[in-house]
Amino acid sequence: MDALTIMKNEIKLGFRNPWAYSFLGIFTLLSLSMLIIQSGPVSDLNQYTKTTGTLMNLILYLLPLMTLLLGALSITSEKEDGRWHLLSTYPLSSFSFIIGKYAGMFIVLTAIISFGFGLSGLIGSFLGQGLSLETLLWIFVFSMMLILLFLGLAVWIGAASKNRWQALTISVGVWFLLVLAWPILLIAVLSLFPYASIQPTLEILVFFNPAELVRIFVTLYLGGGHIFGPAYYEWIEWFHQPFGVLFLVAVSMLWVLGSVGLTIWKWERKRRHV
Amino acid sequence: MSERILKVKGLEKKYQSKTVVYPIDFQLNSGEILALCGGNGAGKSTILKMIAGIVEPSQGNITIDGITWDKNRRDYARKIGYMPDHFSLDASLSVRELLNYYAQLKKVPKEETAGILDRVGLTDVQDEPFDSLSKGMRQRFMFAQAMLGSPQLLILDEPTNGLDPYWMKSFVEIIQELKKENQSIIFSTHQLDIAESAADQVIFLHEGQVLESGELDRLKQKYNHMSLQQMFSRLFFRA
Repeated sequence: MDALTIMKNEIKLGFRNPWAYSFLGIFTLLSLSMLIIQSGPVSDLNQYTKTTGTLMNLILYLLPLMTLLLGALSITSEKEDGRWHLLSTYPLSSFSFIIGKYAGMFIVLTAIISFGFGLSGLIGSFLGQGLSLETLLWIFVFSMMLILLFLGLAVWIGAASKNRWQALTISVGVWFLLVLAWPILLIAVLSLFPYASIQPTLEILVFFNPAELVRIFVTLYLGGGHIFGPAYYEWIEWFHQPFGVLFLVAVSMLWVLGSVGLTIWKWERKRRHV
Repeated sequence: MSERILKVKGLEKKYQSKTVVYPIDFQLNSGEILALCGGNGAGKSTILKMIAGIVEPSQGNITIDGITWDKNRRDYARKIGYMPDHFSLDASLSVRELLNYYAQLKKVPKEETAGILDRVGLTDVQDEPFDSLSKGMRQRFMFAQAMLGSPQLLILDEPTNGLDPYWMKSFVEIIQELKKENQSIIFSTHQLDIAESAADQVIFLHEGQVLESGELDRLKQKYNHMSLQQMFSRLFFRA
């Protein structure tokens, strides 16, 4: 199967890429730093605490940027270096190529975060000061979901960009918009709305930002729903129902399928337009 | 009787209003070698890219063993092996790893890759990273990946660029062997001595237009047994 061949090659290349090791180092350092921070007197390490919130925020800053850069540059370089031109003369479909690249990069990035979390989890349990297994697993799920969703955006950016510089600029721009500027933009834009429509608009807009979607999803299931305030009590309750979980999973899947599907369409459309 | 492998009819390429390849027709039978000759910007690479399915023609059609790219792209791709002029492969992979990767995509057994590496003289460096190879070795590698799966048509863009005289001679010998195995070859070159020693048919191109074309023997007769270099000089200055 062609997608499998592309995936295996991507994994091989990913583990030989110096960038992957830089991110591995940064991510492990981040996880270990959190371990040191929480070695102070912390009341409850089992559920959502300030520590888990801070760890999630730090992951939210680093992981989408890392995923966008690795993903977008990997796809753009295929075109820029002429490797895709050669592969396009092979009996290989755009579908197999993009799916293989996506799966390969997902495995490499998952391996990086697994190493980081695994090491800090091990050291933490050895010192008796680690996060509970449940919390660690939820943060792992949070990271995996960030990778899945942002990798979809990354491959699309890579397919739409003409060269590495463009891919880099767009990736940083998307990261800035979705991770850093989003709350400020929401405050600015929603202040123009009638008061009664602010809350429903805000609830809908969550689904348009993968970073927010994943953050809220994991915060809720870590028992941290109270941080959204009493006004969002019903909303939080709704998400705790089985249908709410299914809905969140379906929206996440739609994000992944939509972005990867668009990438395949874009890649195929540009196939013979050199 | 030899089979017609490649049919090119009214093939043309325009980028916006600029025509880079004017309508061109030619055919190639199995076991024949065709050389596209011309200077820089003559349109050689564009013609080869159109045949390889990388560039969409503005007009005309190309059939390989009766198949067009639009109708059955997978079967079309199985019939060709392409060697690009400019490329940059994954530097961290070894020569063997890279060739195995391409072999897997062409569903060629791994055992076949050892023979191909031997044929292009890269067995000794098969475990070296690709980026440690010289320009000539990289060219030979690209030639090797084009030969994977013994395709009916080999499309080679400037295959002798960067080769030393020994490997230029070997290249001619290899393509003569492939010809005996009934494979057809179309290649571009500005090294006319290579075309003269290897090709059955020659097309001279200049700024996207055909200056002269035909079987090498007939051209030789027509131009009083001039060398291709002399022929090209005469045609080029007339153009």
